[in-house]
Amino acid sequence: MSDKPKSQTVLVVGGGIGGISAALEAAECGAEVVLIEKAPTLGGRVAALNRYFPKMCHPTCGLEINYQRIKKNPRIKVFTMAEVSGISGSKGDYTVTVTTTPRHVTPACTACGDCAKVAASEVADPFNYGLAKMKAAYLPHAMAFPMRYVVDPSVVGTPEGQAIKAACKVEAINLDEKPESFALQVGAVIWATGWKPYDPKNLTMYRHGEIADVITNVEMERLASHDGPTKGHILKPSSGEAPKKVALIQCAGSRDLNHLAYCSRICCLASMKHAAYVREQYPEAEVDIYYIDIRAHDKLEAFYQKAKADPGIRWIKSKPSRIEKGASGEPVVCGENTLSREVYANAYDLVVLATGMQASAQPPAGAQLDDYGFVVSEEGVFGAGVATGPLDVSMSVQSATAAALRAVQAVRS
Amino acid sequence: MNAISPNPSRAYDLNFARYVYENIDGGERLRMCMQCGACSGSCPIGQQMDHGPRKLFMMIRAGMKEAVLTSNTIWNCVSCYNCVVRCPRKVPITYILHDLANLAVREGFDAAKKADNARFAKAFMWSARKYGRTDERLVTGIYYFSFGLLEGMKRGMGNQKIALNMIKTKRMHLGMPHAIKAKDELQNILAKAQEIQDRHGKGA
Repeated sequence: MSDKPKSQTVLVVGGGIGGISAALEAAECGAEVVLIEKAPTLGGRVAALNRYFPKMCHPTCGLEINYQRIKKNPRIKVFTMAEVSGISGSKGDYTVTVTTTPRHVTPACTACGDCAKVAASEVADPFNYGLAKMKAAYLPHAMAFPMRYVVDPSVVGTPEGQAIKAACKVEAINLDEKPESFALQVGAVIWATGWKPYDPKNLTMYRHGEIADVITNVEMERLASHDGPTKGHILKPSSGEAPKKVALIQCAGSRDLNHLAYCSRICCLASMKHAAYVREQYPEAEVDIYYIDIRAHDKLEAFYQKAKADPGIRWIKSKPSRIEKGASGEPVVCGENTLSREVYANAYDLVVLATGMQASAQPPAGAQLDDYGFVVSEEGVFGAGVATGPLDVSMSVQSATAAALRAVQAVRS
Repeated sequence: MNAISPNPSRAYDLNFARYVYENIDGGERLRMCMQCGACSGSCPIGQQMDHGPRKLFMMIRAGMKEAVLTSNTIWNCVSCYNCVVRCPRKVPITYILHDLANLAVREGFDAAKKADNARFAKAFMWSARKYGRTDERLVTGIYYFSFGLLEGMKRGMGNQKIALNMIKTKRMHLGMPHAIKAKDELQNILAKAQEIQDRHGKGA
């Protein structure tokens, strides 16, 4: 048979919850799987969340189970700090070029942390969305997979780099590592390239970055996380004090033809979860949720009803028109309450923008995209998780499982 | 195409929303309004409006023709375009409000004829047509006296000091009104504009 697939390997691009799920489902069906991730660790954006709605469980739990499944499955090969730089061929016979970025740390690393102790310079911490800095020799986060440090390229060739190398007892540091390229022969490709939060700088009327106490929903997750910059205490970035009045603004960028034309689906529930974080930490605090309409998708109406029953949460039906700076630098949310017709200007200690989900920064090379930049599945090339559109974690896993099934069919027929 | 109900005193017109969608400048995008309130919240004089754009648009959908066309919202818009820039559905709110004001005048609503902006616009257009430019004294005079002889004198006297200062700084002149050179060309432009507007008003 001439159309028999030449390669039975499935390539999964992206090691977030979608990519991990797709890789596992395909491998557990018996397919050979290569999972590549551009960051130094698997886990993606899920690892940066504090809790999941609606059960408020910790993402680390699900990640841990999946990491165990990966470790136990000999059919999965994982490459971190690797990206697809080119793809050619057709269903059953793709040649994929993968480029790796040097980690400067070999698999001999025991994650003892001695290198971080001697590292002096600090670099931006993407895991904490820039809310904190980290040492130039770092473990990406506590739930890193592989559990291996990374040496930032900024210290290579400096005395600090030499000190870091010298500090390693197991001689796991290799400062001479260079970017590399290799080719893979695969039969099917799953793009699980995920998403990025919509850049709040585009929302000029909400003045994120200009007023310190205006943050985004992903930053809120980090503030609430025990391994975050505030050790899990939700504090005002301006002063480090506990907030008494918190505003959560829905549709910050979503459902807006000037920004993201679609509904990002997860933000309503995420904000209700944030309201729960605040109310749990500060029972006296007041939370106002500004919304156009609440979209508690799927079976999550019950979570909404529970939040509605909380007397500490006020629901204001309005898309705030702007945020102004109050006399002492505090954010003042302005707009029209569409139920009472009242034009309001309410001051808060903390404002959280529910920024939407945007397709990943670099669209996967050669993938077919829809009008919004999300992946459209084709013969042999499939989208999984948020690469295909805004989804919550459970839906992302469902989408990934579906993509794995299609990929397995593609390499077997 | 839908016709507006012929009787201007009728409070409700079930065809009104469709009429606005099809005939009012920018009305077509009004279908997209999702009542988020970004417009009314953005409005620098939103507090002075009886309804504000968002509610007014809902009233249009409800067929409240009379209430819409006698609202002060359509007259108070200052064309700052804050709402147009922020509208998540790209509704050209400013155009719609201005054309609704125009419709209110055409439909002969008393409130529209008496609106401050309508009086001023009338005086302004008179001067523009006659001289090709605004003559501050005449425009102000016609506008003030549109409120009646007594009120006109009162307003005139009240602004005497400003007027004298304007003369002193040459922002207002004494003597015959200045006119532009090619008045007939301007008249042609205005006639064409009127023609386009009339055609537009008929849903062409």
